[in-house]
Amino acid sequence: MTASQIYEVFLKADGKSEFRHVGALGAADNEMALLLARECYCRRAEGEQIWVVRRDDISSADSSETAPNRNKSHRHNDGKLVAEHRRQLREGS
Amino acid sequence: MRTWADLDEFQAFLDDGGMVEADDDMPEEYRHEVFRFIEFHANSELMGGLTERDWIPHSPGLRLKQIFLAKTQDEIGHAHLLFMVAADMGVKTRDEMMNDLLAGKTRFHNVFHYRAETWADQIAIAFLVDAAAFASQRAVFAKCTYGPYKRILRRIVGEEGFHMRHGEEMLLKMASGSQVQRDLFQAALERWWWPAVQLFGPDSPPDDPLLKWYIKSERNEVLRHAYVQKYVPLLHGYGFTVPDDGLHQDPDTGEWMMSEIDWAPLKATFSNAGPDSARRLANAVRNHAESAWFRESIGVSA
Repeated sequence: MTASQIYEVFLKADGKSEFRHVGALGAADNEMALLLARECYCRRAEGEQIWVVRRDDISSADSSETAPNRNKSHRHNDGKLVAEHRRQLREGS
Repeated sequence: MRTWADLDEFQAFLDDGGMVEADDDMPEEYRHEVFRFIEFHANSELMGGLTERDWIPHSPGLRLKQIFLAKTQDEIGHAHLLFMVAADMGVKTRDEMMNDLLAGKTRFHNVFHYRAETWADQIAIAFLVDAAAFASQRAVFAKCTYGPYKRILRRIVGEEGFHMRHGEEMLLKMASGSQVQRDLFQAALERWWWPAVQLFGPDSPPDDPLLKWYIKSERNEVLRHAYVQKYVPLLHGYGFTVPDDGLHQDPDTGEWMMSEIDWAPLKATFSNAGPDSARRLANAVRNHAESAWFRESIGVSA
């Protein structure tokens, strides 16, 4: 007998929200995975759309790869310098 | 993948509100304790679901049949998801967990080691046992440091909430029914009160690792006491008698105090030696064998 595949399940709740990961399940194929996702994760219509993705098909990056982007202040601007300038103008100095 | 130099560093991470994920290099002690806890929960959902299933044909009326069908599906679904979360911890495969459960090597909740004698027992289970399980699961959800378990618990606790409401609605109907119905529920209450109270377990040991690692957010005795404070007045309000001669209110605090609990029945369930353990396990084994053709037809093993 073959082992079942592991699928990751995503639900999208309504028009504006994004798909969210809700968990995983074991199923024999895509069709069965969708059926089980509906019956396990969407029993009370918690989502209006479902994605199931075979875990083996997901490429992922962990914090060792995302960490460098924590340290790029030039990608942000807190606006403090300009705010200070405008405040001084308002106060008529 | 994150890793920790030692248990102290790991503890500091947890104390800081850290959340462990399946692909982290968690300490083996944590992995095994948390795995055992989730496996126990998964086993209990499956064994509970099988009992609910047995009562679907006996449910009086179409609405209750639908409710019990849905509850059964909920419980089996919870088991499915929890076995998935447990298997992802890499300690045992799903097949191994299923085999161990059916061979009587692993444990499931004490309340599934007793026989449900009448329909009123099912109501007592829905009202008392589901509520005790709900309180204990909600306390795990509160601080749970294992991310995949916490996320699945959110949906389980939500669904158990529906079961509890069904339970109290069914109780209301029994309580406002005929004397026969009230007697039937009183008899069921006498069978299920102590198992429900014991579901919380004996007092937590002072150094319980599950408390230290925030899998449990509250000590067993605290949860049990809070449950008694809530359910004694509710049962009195519906006109029933709690089967405990020593039950009284503390004159100073007004808190409900129980007689000393006899833990022997709980301990018997730990080794699958409860009054209905053998029949329940045989039932689960038969169910597994009878559904083998289906698993084969869709190409999965368990």
